[in-house]
Amino acid sequence: MAGVLFSTWRGEFIDNRNKVIDEWTPSAFALPENYTAHKASKAFIGWDGVALFDNDIDVVRLAKEYAAQYQVYSEACGRCAPGRWGGRILYDLLDKIARGEGSYNDIDHLKEVSETMMVTSKCEIGRTVPKPILDLMEHFNDVFSDLIDNHKPSKHYNAEVNYIAKVTAPCTDMCPAHVDIPAYIEGVRDLQFSDSLSATRQTMPLAHTCGRVCPHPCEDACRRANLDSPVSIMELKRLGADYETDHALPWQHPYDPKPLRNDGKKVAIIGAGPAGLTAAYYLALEGIKVDIFEELPVLGGEVAVGVPQYRMPIEKYNKDIELVTSMEAVTVYTNHRVDAVRLKEIEAEYDATLLAFGTRLSKKVGAENEKHDVEGYWGAISMLDKVNLWHKYRIGSPAEEDLKDKVVVCVGGGFTSMDVVRCSIREGAKKVIMLYRRDEKTIIGNTTYEEYHEAVEEGVEFIFHSAVERIYDENGKITKLLVNRFELVPDPNGGRAQLLKVEDGDFEIECDYLIPAVSQAADLQLLPSEWELAMTSWGTLLTNGKDYMTSREGLFAAGDCEYGPMTIVNAVGQAKRAASVMVRYLDTGKISLSNDEIMEDHLKALKVYDKKEKVSGWMPGIARKSSEKLGVDERKDNNKEVNLGFTGEEALREAERCMRCYYISMVAV
Amino acid sequence: MLLYINGGGIIMDIKQNKSQKINVTIDGKVCEATTDDTILRIARNNGIYIPTMCYLTKVEPIASCRMCVVEVEGIEGAILSCQSRTTDGAVINTKSKYIDKQRQNIMKLYNVNHPLECGVCDKSGECELQNKTLEFNVNAQSFTTKDMFRPVENWGFVSYDPALCIMCEKCVRVANEITGNEALQINTGGYKSRILNVKKDFNDSSLGESAAVCPVGALVSTNFKYTSKAWELDKIPATCAHCSSGCSLYYEVKNDKIYRVTNDFEFSSLCGAGRFGFDFANENVNKDTQAFTNAITAFKEADTIRFSAIITNEEALILQKFKEKYKYRLVCDEAYGYQTFLKAFGNVSGENLYNANLKSLSNSKGIIVLGSRINDDNPMVKYHITMASKRNSARVAYMHPIEDGNISNIVTQFIKYEVGSEEGVTALLANALLQNKELPGSLRDFLNDLDIGNISAESNVGEEELSMLMQSLDKKEGFTLVVGSDLYNHPRAVQIAKLIGAIQKYSDFDVLLVPPATNALGIALICTLDDEVGKYTIGYNAVGDFELSCLGNGDLDMPALNQQEGTLTTIDKRVAPTNVALSYNGYTLNDIANTLGLNAKYTIDYTSMLPSKSGFKVMDFDELPFNFDMVGVEHRGYLLSTKSIKNIDTFEEIDEIPTYDGAIIYRCNEANQFNMLTNRTKAFDQNEVCLKGSAQFANAAKVKDGDEISYVVDGIRYKRKFKLDSSLKGTIALHPNYDIRLSSALVSSYRFSHLTLEQ
Ligand SMILES: Cc1cc2nc3c(=O)[nH]c(=O)nc-3n(C[C@H](O)[C@H](O)[C@H](O)COP(=O)(O)OP(=O)(O)OC[C@H]3O[C@@H](n4cnc5c(N)ncnc54)[C@H](O)[C@@H]3O)c2cc1C
Ligand code: SF4
Ligand code: SF4
Ligand code: SF4
Ligand code: SF4
Ligand code: FES
Repeated sequence: MAGVLFSTWRGEFIDNRNKVIDEWTPSAFALPENYTAHKASKAFIGWDGVALFDNDIDVVRLAKEYAAQYQVYSEACGRCAPGRWGGRILYDLLDKIARGEGSYNDIDHLKEVSETMMVTSKCEIGRTVPKPILDLMEHFNDVFSDLIDNHKPSKHYNAEVNYIAKVTAPCTDMCPAHVDIPAYIEGVRDLQFSDSLSATRQTMPLAHTCGRVCPHPCEDACRRANLDSPVSIMELKRLGADYETDHALPWQHPYDPKPLRNDGKKVAIIGAGPAGLTAAYYLALEGIKVDIFEELPVLGGEVAVGVPQYRMPIEKYNKDIELVTSMEAVTVYTNHRVDAVRLKEIEAEYDATLLAFGTRLSKKVGAENEKHDVEGYWGAISMLDKVNLWHKYRIGSPAEEDLKDKVVVCVGGGFTSMDVVRCSIREGAKKVIMLYRRDEKTIIGNTTYEEYHEAVEEGVEFIFHSAVERIYDENGKITKLLVNRFELVPDPNGGRAQLLKVEDGDFEIECDYLIPAVSQAADLQLLPSEWELAMTSWGTLLTNGKDYMTSREGLFAAGDCEYGPMTIVNAVGQAKRAASVMVRYLDTGKISLSNDEIMEDHLKALKVYDKKEKVSGWMPGIARKSSEKLGVDERKDNNKEVNLGFTGEEALREAERCMRCYYISMVAV
Repeated sequence: MLLYINGGGIIMDIKQNKSQKINVTIDGKVCEATTDDTILRIARNNGIYIPTMCYLTKVEPIASCRMCVVEVEGIEGAILSCQSRTTDGAVINTKSKYIDKQRQNIMKLYNVNHPLECGVCDKSGECELQNKTLEFNVNAQSFTTKDMFRPVENWGFVSYDPALCIMCEKCVRVANEITGNEALQINTGGYKSRILNVKKDFNDSSLGESAAVCPVGALVSTNFKYTSKAWELDKIPATCAHCSSGCSLYYEVKNDKIYRVTNDFEFSSLCGAGRFGFDFANENVNKDTQAFTNAITAFKEADTIRFSAIITNEEALILQKFKEKYKYRLVCDEAYGYQTFLKAFGNVSGENLYNANLKSLSNSKGIIVLGSRINDDNPMVKYHITMASKRNSARVAYMHPIEDGNISNIVTQFIKYEVGSEEGVTALLANALLQNKELPGSLRDFLNDLDIGNISAESNVGEEELSMLMQSLDKKEGFTLVVGSDLYNHPRAVQIAKLIGAIQKYSDFDVLLVPPATNALGIALICTLDDEVGKYTIGYNAVGDFELSCLGNGDLDMPALNQQEGTLTTIDKRVAPTNVALSYNGYTLNDIANTLGLNAKYTIDYTSMLPSKSGFKVMDFDELPFNFDMVGVEHRGYLLSTKSIKNIDTFEEIDEIPTYDGAIIYRCNEANQFNMLTNRTKAFDQNEVCLKGSAQFANAAKVKDGDEISYVVDGIRYKRKFKLDSSLKGTIALHPNYDIRLSSALVSSYRFSHLTLEQ
């Protein structure tokens, strides 16, 4: 049974070496004591310290191998003087000591070179590599001295040990698609925009899209926040994508697509949303034939028919889509609704099938007399379908015909509802009201400050702490709503505040439309009941969240139909992982994760970002740049893109704020 | 369930995009600065030294060497001064024991695998590594690691020695951000890192700019290797003779021989022709008294002086004085069209000069290039567009009948128009750029009366193309219209010039009228030119009945531009001095002038007499400065002052657009070739000058690859080999004329013409 024998991780100091197991001090961190369910780890060493799980570990070799891993990494870098040469010297000196040929002079040199690396390296990886090595030299001083004094090699110098390393960054770790953020930001800073784009595309094919409408969870884990405010990570992604489009460059793939495999193996994907497109792209890069089946006449899923034009111009999204469809291995079938019968056929015909059909059913608001078929009751998803299909593709008819001069009430509080109300304004509604159960702060938390602020500017009326109790209709047409008012009552015992209904607070709103945008559910009709697929309690497909296989072998699921309504980047991250698992599954028939993916999951559990860390070596107080937005009068009656993006100069200045917080960590197994 | 995880709202209040004034203290000195300035820049502005290895003022900070670290009070660790901006009140120290030790250690690291065999290195004496090694007292190699064998690579104009490379990345920056050749890449490989040339097959002379900034001996000019020690050379400040950018450079000379050209690379650049095409002097000339007497006789007989635009302002003034005194006709075809254009332009713009310059061009956010194959016509303009493209993500619309694949990396929209339709195209453009602007009635009427549909159809410039262009410029500011020499000799040049004058005056665009040849602008401002020759012509670097020539084959020898002192008027409207690099013992134009009754000891006595009504200053040649200051502001000669002109705006109706069917040729000297001087240099000596065209052109002209053909343009007969060029499309071929020596001064027509082959 593994346990933490010794740890200096993130400032803790645990030394259980001479204690009986009952008296061991536990570590406060989720250190990767077990590499996989079947394999224990011997040690973990990384940017913030070192942890040993096995008494028999050779610490000198561990230090040397860690330096070696940095060497391997800086084989892919070497872009600053201290890192380039310092890393090499670190390794050479440690190897010399481990071989039994070292001297105390070498120890001094090690310390000296470490200091210069820690102070002057360009990125955090060069600055942090020496830290655990110095820790080992301090706490295992006797071991080092023994080798030097007796000219002997370290105890396992030649033993077979597996060392597995991974480079990450706090932002990368938090990004659900694990985009190599520092690399694409560096591409911008270097004015090498195509490099920036190919860095993004290693894990994220939808660069235009996620450079515009991603809610950027990564920015919540940006180390720069410890100094002043997070880097504007999301918007910097746009530069590479726009560069490729503006200059009509050939597609900048992360690597040359492999030739089509001729083993006849192929994968089916149900749904051409972000998840489906992403999986198709990474499978195609590997030369695997992919067929995508899509119900709608257009590709792109909710981002095409949900997210409005003024936030995500279709011309740009189409570039992301074309990247995928331009791949030789990819074939798409639109207007192809897959039902249970068809799914059984497909599943039988293809070597693996990925379900990526999203959550396209609007949930009810849960009011009395809520009927689907009265005029004026219009689910958010189908309302936005209509708006988007018309404006982006000229399919159908303008929603203006329905909404002009009407009173629209939307019940919601997330992104979808924001799109509903802002689109309603653009379609000429007379009055647009958003009803939300909770308060302003929460709605901002659910969406963004800008989104909320822009909606208010455009004339949307927000009524907080409110919920529809009853819907009234006459002659098959909605007439008014009875609304309850709530208030937030703090818990006297310090617990979570409670929403309580205000007596006599009810009021009525006369309206033409009620648009429920509270949440969405998956439409499960296509799943053959006899498969008895395991589901989550909220009605989506269940997987283990690591390999994305459903309870049926060879059937995978990713994106909203797996997770529930979430984000584009979440769908991308899941689908990318699923594609990688499928590639190996086609080859071996087995479900497995790569070492890199195992490490990715370990680091995620450990948490890379440390909110409390004190950042040094950077000038604080450098303002985050914000891009220009269209003024309210310039935007509220049209579909022009609201966010104009960074100017080249703003982008450069913003990119220079990035501290390149690469970290390297390593497990010995 | 939570719909979206998001941290919005926490960060939105810190919004300061605008630069603000601040005060900081560096090494005890209070310095005024702005939030846009880096610490290093503030220090340099204030004369405070911070050591650097990778800093290059003319590009964005590279931040690879880490030498420039400083300390800021109250902040832990070392701050990188070249890239960090600062906050008000910061107290910065550039020197301390701690910082010195870091810098010294970095120097030790730099020396780890550097052979330090300076005795055999070409860079010795001007090597930054050598200097800094001494400066930081690094003697012992306290860190060492295994060495590798890495051979030198010859890339044509430059050679690369990976063993000496310190990976400062300056060369890559220059190739990407300034010259835009994008040939160099960093091959990251830790300790094995190196620079790669990804366009090795294409021997690009603009790589010389990358070699110029190399701080060590890793990237050097191939031809300069092992020929001389840097410290033995004299530096002669001069202005490049090849094109109208008139870049500043130094001819480096020993024993009356130019070894190489260098420049203030920290702040400015050259193109390949400027850097490598320096050996065009008229050598071994002595005073041939008989020839001189003949010349005087010829001048007495002549009624016309025809000259090329490769002369100094002072010589132009001498010729003008000749005209005033003896009523010669002055014919300079290269400058005549430009002069007429400039006048018509001024009549509407109200100013005698265009208002943009190279610097303002590089700061633009939107650029339109009209009527020029700019990459070949003027490399420096192309460099500055590249800077705007890379740094500002500028929108660049390239309007021309022929697409240019060499600049697709900076162009965001190619708008193709029909040959001959320039007037209509300019009108469409003016109409688009002047929308919603307040205009005088006559101009508004003119624009309202345009038959847009018809012009669109004839010129092939779609309304959607222009609206896409306008849309891409929406909400941006800082625009430049670059105009080139396709328009100056256009049959409708006057009307086109007026429309462009209107664009300068009434739109948000600045205008840059790229002068078509070295000193075309100077000549246009100094001489009153005639359009036709008379009975007997003196040719000065031009064909004539009596020829004065710096090519050494005429009736009387003349000095080349690197054998003369005087001034040139550059694209930046700068009157820039140039000096004698190589001796010349023959006669000069001034000798003739003195014999013909003018009186000046030296040609440069005329510098102070250049016409002030055109914007020249009364300044003696010897007073003209030649340097950049600490922060990179150029002080070279002086800038012309712009004069206002009473403006009149009457426009004519758009002429019918002529049709150009069949095989068309376009006069265009490609890459590094400008004129008879570049053609003379060893670096650009071409044994075969070809007409290059696509398969479609070959079809239309009924020629095959390799055919010897002959045709006449402007009365000049060309014998050329036809070469198929797969990078070209359509029925227009590129027709060079840099090899026609003195005849080039005859070229006066619109750049496109029908090809009629002679049997
Ligand atoms: C209005 C709105 C605004 C949003 N805004 C944002 C935002 O700003 N940022 C963000 O990150 N996320 C946003 N989201 C969420 C984001 O759009 C989704 O998380 C994402 O699209 C999920 O991708 P997916 O591929 O899993 O599913 P989807 O995008 O829903 O794609 C599923 C596809 O499968 C097709 N399909 C379904 N059933 C079948 C069938 N039986 N046969 C064939 N095809 C089928 C569908 O037609 C659809 O094209 C928004 C969502 C909505 C609704
Ligand atoms: S990873 Fe960073 S620290 Fe290491 S060599 Fe590269 S730039 Fe330097
Ligand atoms: S500063 Fe840069 S590398 Fe560091 S967390 Fe933020 S975005 Fe990532
Ligand atoms: S070749 Fe010269 S300029 Fe280029 S990286 Fe090496 S040392 Fe720097
Ligand atoms: S030819 Fe023109 S661009 Fe080239 S160096 Fe000379 S003046 Fe500059
Ligand atoms: S000058 Fe700042 S890192 Fe080189």
